[in-house]
Amino acid sequence: MKKSEIVKLIDTTRCTACRGCQVACKQWNELPASKTRNVGSYQNPQDLEWNTWTLIRFQEHQDTDGSFQWLFRKDGCMHCTDAACVRVCPSGALSYTEFGTVAVDQDRCIGCKACISACPFDIPRYNAETEKIYKCDLCLNRLKENQIPACVLSCPTGALSIGKREEMIEKAYKRVEELDGKAYVYGDKFVKGTHVIYVLQKDAKVYDELPVNPRIPASVVLWKNLFKPFTLIGMGAVAGMAALHYLIKGPHEVHEKDQEGGE
Amino acid sequence: MSHHTKDMVRVTDATERLAHWLLAGSCLVCLISGLGIMFQSWDIIATVMGGLYATKWIHTFSGVVFAFSLIYAFFMWRKDCAFEADDAKWIAKGGGYLWETSDLPPVYKYNAGQKLFFWFVVIFGILIIASGLVMWLWNPETFSPAVARWAYALHALSALVIGSFFVVHLYLGTIGNPGTATAMFTGWCSRAWCETHCPRWLEERDKKA
Repeated sequence: MKKSEIVKLIDTTRCTACRGCQVACKQWNELPASKTRNVGSYQNPQDLEWNTWTLIRFQEHQDTDGSFQWLFRKDGCMHCTDAACVRVCPSGALSYTEFGTVAVDQDRCIGCKACISACPFDIPRYNAETEKIYKCDLCLNRLKENQIPACVLSCPTGALSIGKREEMIEKAYKRVEELDGKAYVYGDKFVKGTHVIYVLQKDAKVYDELPVNPRIPASVVLWKNLFKPFTLIGMGAVAGMAALHYLIKGPHEVHEKDQEGGE
Repeated sequence: MSHHTKDMVRVTDATERLAHWLLAGSCLVCLISGLGIMFQSWDIIATVMGGLYATKWIHTFSGVVFAFSLIYAFFMWRKDCAFEADDAKWIAKGGGYLWETSDLPPVYKYNAGQKLFFWFVVIFGILIIASGLVMWLWNPETFSPAVARWAYALHALSALVIGSFFVVHLYLGTIGNPGTATAMFTGWCSRAWCETHCPRWLEERDKKA
């Protein structure tokens, strides 16, 4: 089915937080800038927005030994293989592509926001004006033309790279080896593997806004795998029982007066 | 109502019937549009309703009608649907619907099955309205995504319960109990029907008359 499953590797150990990817994303996807305020951090804007599909998170981190580190992490859609957003989307606006990534088709989106509630990574953003959701689609229109995503193209340090899934996972583990094991691969183990994978310089639990064990929320499983089919099964079953009752027991006829002596 | 003979008894007034049909009609519209939204393979429903986006709003606004008619119905029928000691006996005998029974406890206005239906609709109606309001109005500033996603699950569970009871009600209110449906159309049922379905109520009514 999938012609060529691809993975974008984000090697945070190589990231200098130049934010070229952030700008390239806006440029290629023609996303307007937002008016922001300086809050004393290079992180700008403060969070993903409908018009900001990727951003570098700047985090000041102090280790247990007191050493200080400035952590940079490029945030954005992880393109899950088993994506909660696709599971809950009623319109088909969110769908899997031939590359294994998750595409979003605004023409189909009805703005129900179910995907926002379901995403374990808190990625989709809602635009109240257009009543649509937006997120990174890994530059699907570029991938289709054998071009690499704008963010990867812009990256000057090699922190971003993209390629075949197996090769990129291998590359990630090789990089960890290169760093004497002082780094962590994130993304190949949960939700059947994401199509964006990190080499993190710290354990995942250190990072802000990064779930340590992302998974399809239990409510989504209950909703889609149990309640949804059982709506039809339940209504069908009682309709069937009613039909059987009608055929076997017969309708509940009105008694004649002389039989009604119960009082 | 000159066409009603003395053998007919008026069992519902116009307000009850209006509330019933508002509740039933909005429930049906919600049910059909909801199934159209939940099952992508049934996109014919959304197509007929003018697209999925239009279907979302049809669902939302019929949900509002459902909410108000449910509130009205609750205050109108809660006394008639309050449980009494004999209801357990009625349930234990399957209401006479499932096997032959003798001496069913005589029913006042509504039998225990109808009361159960009423309370299930009230409870799951409240849940489906509350969860629906969250789904409609939430954004990450008002409710956390966790609250919202449990609202979606709760909404689907409530739809399952109400939808299934809807089918039971449809059967028992029509072909399952011949002579019943007129209670919600003309408001009149036969005296014999009343003697079968609500004998204590009929007795009290006759005494008053």
